[in-house]
Amino acid sequence: MISEIKALRDGLWTVFKHLFKKPVTLEYPEKRRELNEAFRGKLTVNGCVGCGICKRVCPSGAIEYKKNDEGKVYFYKFDLKKCIFCGNCAYYCPKGAIKLTKEYELASGDKNDLNLIYKGGADD
Amino acid sequence: MTITTFKLNLGPQHPSTHGVLRLVLELEGEKILSCEPDIGYLHRGMEKMAERISYIQYLPTVDRIDYLAGCFYSELLCRIVENALGVELPDKVRAIRVMLLELNRIASHLLWVGAFLMDLGAVSPFFYAFREREMILRYFEKLTGQRMMYNYFVFGGVRKDIDYLGDVEEIISILPEKIDDYEKIITENPIFLRRTKGKGMLDIDTALNYAVTGVNLRASGMDYDTRRSDYLYRGFDFGVVILDEGDAWARYKARIMEMRESVNIIHQALEYLKISPALEQKLINPVNLKLPAGDYYAEIEAPRGLASCFVRSTGEDKPYRLKWRTGSYYSVNLLRKILVGEYLNDAIAIAGSLDIILPEVDK
Repeated sequence: MISEIKALRDGLWTVFKHLFKKPVTLEYPEKRRELNEAFRGKLTVNGCVGCGICKRVCPSGAIEYKKNDEGKVYFYKFDLKKCIFCGNCAYYCPKGAIKLTKEYELASGDKNDLNLIYKGGADD
Repeated sequence: MTITTFKLNLGPQHPSTHGVLRLVLELEGEKILSCEPDIGYLHRGMEKMAERISYIQYLPTVDRIDYLAGCFYSELLCRIVENALGVELPDKVRAIRVMLLELNRIASHLLWVGAFLMDLGAVSPFFYAFREREMILRYFEKLTGQRMMYNYFVFGGVRKDIDYLGDVEEIISILPEKIDDYEKIITENPIFLRRTKGKGMLDIDTALNYAVTGVNLRASGMDYDTRRSDYLYRGFDFGVVILDEGDAWARYKARIMEMRESVNIIHQALEYLKISPALEQKLINPVNLKLPAGDYYAEIEAPRGLASCFVRSTGEDKPYRLKWRTGSYYSVNLLRKILVGEYLNDAIAIAGSLDIILPEVDK
């Protein structure tokens, strides 16, 4: 009996102490927490030379690209529906052309919005 | 009078089954006569997938085998490749890996403490445990870019030099007193004691017959921890938690004590990392990576027991066969044995105490 009362007292005291602390949660759509530079979100491409390494290290086959007759990349497609945001493509890109941004709210009513298409390549 | 028995489906979406585990229980009144675990709801074909894609393509996906302790599985795959190619890791890489593995172990155990107490009907410890786990996940996000799917270990080293060591220092300075807080409200609580003491008894023979490893085995009195012979942990001084009771309470206590040991290991790694020079590592070029023909094996002490990986290579850029051994798979199987004779209301506590994570079971 005494141990029960003691446990109740200790438990309630621990809970009571938290009453006066700031909440640790955020009201999400209104408030957003700050993301840091390393965050792996939506991809961007700038200055691609078309070596194709990103395609070879991508685990989910989310990357497609085509080359024109001169060997320049003219069509680049990232399928965010397949992308698992592992960051392999950005890490192994020899030119640092692929970057992962902090954008993470990717919900869309149209699935074509989730195909990131870049036309042009090395010269742009 | 005739004795009638009936069958009850526990799960697959019961909130206390930690994922999607279905237990077919045969009951007589509230007493369990037999238990048949039904697994496979989360099967993603992790092993078959490896036969189709190259090693570097496979590496980010292995974090998903156990999403609560992803580091351990990337470490295993990296270890396979490093062993096959005979790459020695520099001391700094070892210290970084040990620190992250132990942080990951604490995060995993914290989630378990919260979820287990939730199973027993206590809600506040769940929030406290998640609050502390959040600090660890924030640190991982800062360092690796994501909260759970780190993809930070690469063949031959780590992706980038360690940073934000102040955060780790803060985490390990706060954690011991928070763990004291949990112990204060949980460990000696009479309700908790009555629901866990002497429930789900597991003796060493049964545990060994069912190939149970990890904390569950150590809480039954068996001294088995592969960290002691692990080359990654060479030079670290730590104790192995062994309890003799073998009941659900001992498994809880062992995990709490193991978190304190992990804090101790992180302290040592941190002391080394603070004074160590900038990272120098010889990464293995993963594009066109081919393992020499042969069989390779690696093992590590994961939070849910011994995890190991076996690869048979025929000299190509992808494995001929890859096999994972995960701790939870054997713990699920153990339910067949230890639930028999117990009562239905204890079944949740016993199943919860084994720390079963279904993605790890189903792979």
